[in-house]
Amino acid sequence: MSYDDSAVLRVRELRKHFPMGGGRSLVAVDGVNLDIAAGETLALVGESGSGKSTVARCIVRLIEPTSGDVAIDGAPILSLDPAALSRVYRRIQMVFQDPNASLNPRMTVRQVLDEPLRLHLKMPRQAREARVRSLVEMVNLTAAHLDRYPHELSGGQRQRVGIARAIAVSPEIVILDEPTSSLDVSVRGQILTLLMDLRRQLNLAYLFISHDLQVVRHVADRVAVMYLGGIVETGPTSEVFGSPKHPYTRALLSAAPVPQWGVAGARAARLRLVGEISSPIDPPDACRLAGRCPLQQTSCTQGKPQLTDLGGGHAVACRIVAAAPVTSPSGHG
Amino acid sequence: MRIGIALVCIYTGIAVLSFFWTPYDPLSPGVGDGYDPPSSTFLLGTDRLGSDMVSRLMAGARYDLGITVIAVSIALSAGTTIGVIAGYFGGVLDTVVLRLVEVFQAFPGLLFAMLVVQAVGPGIVNVILVLSFVGIPDYLRLARAEIHARRDWQYAEAARMVGNRPWRVAFRHLLPNSAGPLLAFTSINAAFVALITASLGFLGLGLSPNTPEWGSMIARGQDGVMTGQWWVSFFPGLAILGLTGAFYLLGDALSDLTDPRRR
Amino acid sequence: MSADLLEVENYSGSFRSKSGQLAPVLHQVSFRLRTHAITAVVGETGSGKSLVALSTLGIQPPSFVRTSGRILFRGIDLLTLDEPGLRAVRGGQISMVFQDARAALNPVFTVGRQLADVWQLRHRGSRSAAMRQAIEALRRVSIPEPERRARQYPHAFSGGMAQRAMIAMAALVCEPALLILDEPTTGLDVTIQAEIMDLIVDLTRTQGLTTWLITHDLGVVAEYCEDVVVMNSGRVVETGSSEAIFTTPRDVYTRRLLSASQLAEPA
Repeated sequence: MSYDDSAVLRVRELRKHFPMGGGRSLVAVDGVNLDIAAGETLALVGESGSGKSTVARCIVRLIEPTSGDVAIDGAPILSLDPAALSRVYRRIQMVFQDPNASLNPRMTVRQVLDEPLRLHLKMPRQAREARVRSLVEMVNLTAAHLDRYPHELSGGQRQRVGIARAIAVSPEIVILDEPTSSLDVSVRGQILTLLMDLRRQLNLAYLFISHDLQVVRHVADRVAVMYLGGIVETGPTSEVFGSPKHPYTRALLSAAPVPQWGVAGARAARLRLVGEISSPIDPPDACRLAGRCPLQQTSCTQGKPQLTDLGGGHAVACRIVAAAPVTSPSGHG
Repeated sequence: MRIGIALVCIYTGIAVLSFFWTPYDPLSPGVGDGYDPPSSTFLLGTDRLGSDMVSRLMAGARYDLGITVIAVSIALSAGTTIGVIAGYFGGVLDTVVLRLVEVFQAFPGLLFAMLVVQAVGPGIVNVILVLSFVGIPDYLRLARAEIHARRDWQYAEAARMVGNRPWRVAFRHLLPNSAGPLLAFTSINAAFVALITASLGFLGLGLSPNTPEWGSMIARGQDGVMTGQWWVSFFPGLAILGLTGAFYLLGDALSDLTDPRRR
Repeated sequence: MSADLLEVENYSGSFRSKSGQLAPVLHQVSFRLRTHAITAVVGETGSGKSLVALSTLGIQPPSFVRTSGRILFRGIDLLTLDEPGLRAVRGGQISMVFQDARAALNPVFTVGRQLADVWQLRHRGSRSAAMRQAIEALRRVSIPEPERRARQYPHAFSGGMAQRAMIAMAALVCEPALLILDEPTTGLDVTIQAEIMDLIVDLTRTQGLTTWLITHDLGVVAEYCEDVVVMNSGRVVETGSSEAIFTTPRDVYTRRLLSASQLAEPA
C-alpha cells in the first residue's frame, strides 16, 4: 500500500464492530485503509453487507468507529471534540443516496442551502443570499426553485439540491453515498456529468460509493472493491476492471449485465461463487471469501490475507493470486 | 374540522366574555327562587340555590376550558422536551426515563388524579399541576417514538454535517416533522383532560364548593333530575360534551394543517 | 392457436381522482408476447409498465379505470371476465412474481406451508403430498437444504432466496402458461441477480413458459431477453427483438434511454 504524502484524506486500519449481546460482535468494517489525493475520485465498490456505507459514515463520524485513524490534510479527526468536529465538516461533506430522505420536508431549498452557510461559515445575510443564488446555478437549477419544498421537486432536482448543500461550504473532500442509485436511468447521466464538472471546477476529492460497476467505471480514477468489511482489491479503474485478479472482483464483473448487444458471448465465462455471503458476526481469522471461492485451498482458512502489491498501484488480498499473478486470465474485456 | 375550530373559538370567546359580563353574578345564590325553570328572565333556569344557569355556565367555561388548556400546555411542553431528548440521545437516560414513565402509567389517569388531589389539597393550581403530570407520560412516549423513528433518516445525518449540534438536530429538524402526530394527540388528550377536570369537579375534589365548574354543577343538580328539574344538570353536561367533541374535531384539522405537503 | 400467447390491444386507462376526474395514464398500449419467449417490457418510473401487467391479472389499483382496449389471452379478452373467471386464470394460466419477495410472502406461515397451500388449491390431494411437492419446488430452484428451509419463515430467508421461493411458487407450483415478473431483481445484489435471471431463463425453457419481464435495467434486457417493448409515459414507443432494439433503435426515446444506460467511457 503506497503511502501518499499528498493525500487529502487518509484512512488507516478503520474498524467498526457492533456488539450483539452475549459477547458476540458484528464486524461491519474490518481494517480498511484508503488514500485519496486532491482532485481524485476513489470508488468504493461492493454489494450489500460489504461495509462500504459504514466506512463512509465512520470517516465523518456519523457513526463512531471502533478503532483506526482518519486524517484530513494530515490532521487526525477521530479524537476531536464536537466543536472541533463541526469545523471539520467545512472540509469534508457528504451527498446522500435517497433524495427523498436526505432533505428535510419542511425546509425550502433556500433554507437548506442557507443553513450550512449560516452555521459553518457564519456569513452575513447579504453574502449568504448571493452565495445561495450562485449555488443553485452551479447545479443547473434556477432561482425559481429556491422557494420550493422538496416534494415539489423531481428526484433529480432534489439530488442536485443535496449536491449544492454539500459544496456550499467549499469542502475539499466530498463523500458520495450511492448518489445516483435512487434515480432513473435518464437522470443518472446528467447528475454524473454535473458531479464530474464540479470536481474539475472546485478541485474536489471524491470518495464515490456505489454498487453499480458501470457508473464506477465512468467516474472513478481508482477503485477499491469491498467484501464483508474488507478491501479485497484496489487499483486504477482501468486495471481493476480490465484485469481483475481477486475471485470476488471477477465474480462481480462477470455477473454484471451490460446494456449492449452481443457482449455476453464475448465476456469471460462467469466466475461463480458458491452459496451465500457468510455471517459478519464473529468472523473467523480466514479469507472472507472462504467457503464460496472456486480457487480455494487449505491455506485460505488459516489467517486473513493482506493486500499484496502487484505493481502499478494494483493490490489484491488473495494469497493464491498473489503467488501466481501471471497465470490469472483477464476478466471483463 | 372547521366545526372543531369554530366550537373551540366559541368556548374561548364565552370564557373571555365572562370576565367582563354575565347576565347575573354567577356566584350569588338567591338571584332567583331556586329551581326556576328556563324562562325569559333566566334563559336556562336557575339551580337549587337560585343562581342563574347562564351566568354559571359562562363562568364555568373559564374553569373547564382554562384548566384543560393550561394543563395540556404544560404536559405538552414538558413531555415533548423530555421525550425528544430521550429519543434522540438514547442510552441510559432513555432507559431511566422509560421506566419512570411506566411507573406513572401504571395508574389509571382519573384515579391517579383523584389520589394526588386529595393528598396535596384543594386549589386550582394543584388541580392544574396534577392534570399536567397525568398527561406527561403520553406526550413523552409519543415524542420519543417519533424522534427515535426519524433519528437515522438521511436528513438527520445531513443536518449534522451541515453544522447542527445534536440537540439542534433533534429540536430544530426532527421535532417539527413530528408535529402532525403530536398535535393530533394533543387534541384528543385535551378532550380527555377536560373530562377528568369535570369528573374531579363532579366528585367535589380540588375546587371550592361554589365554584361554577361544570362538573360540580352537574353534581349539584343531581337531586333535581329525579324530581323533574332537569336543566340544572343537563346544560353543564351539554357544555362538557360540546367541549370534548370540539377538541376531537380540532385534532383532525391540526394534523392536516401542519403537513407541508398540503400547501 | 396464434404464435402470440398474449396480445395487448390498444389498451388505455386513467386514474380516477377523489373528485371524479380522470387522469389518463395509459394511451393505446399495444404489444404481443411471443409464445415461449422472454419478453422484456422496459420503461422508467411512471411509464405504466406495471399497470398493464396488473390489469392482465385483474389486480390493478381500484382507482384505475380502463377506457378502451382489450387484453387477449389465448384469444379470450381477460377484461371481460368476471371474478370467478379471473380466479381460474390466475395461478393456473397466468402467475406473477413481484419485486420484494419477502414482503410478498405471508410472514406468519412457513414458506413450505405457503407453497403447499397453493399446490393443494389446484391439485387437491393430501397435505403431505402437497408438502413433498413444495420441497421439490424449492429444490428445483436451487435452494440448499430444501426440507429445512421449507420449515422456516420468510424473515429467515435472504432477499435472493426469498425471490427463488416466490419463483418456485409462481412457476412450478402454479404451472402457468404465462409468467409475469415485475422487477424481480431490483434491489438484489448483482451476483444474486445473475443467478435469479439464470433461473428464470432455465425455467422458461424447461417448463415451456412464456415470460413477461418488467424491468428498467437495460443490462438485464440485453443479456437475457429475446423481445423488447419500450414504454414511456404510458405509451409503447417501440417494439422489436432485443438485437434490433440495441443495434438499430428507431425511436428517439429508445435511443436516449440506450445512451443514458451505456454511459460513455470515462468522463
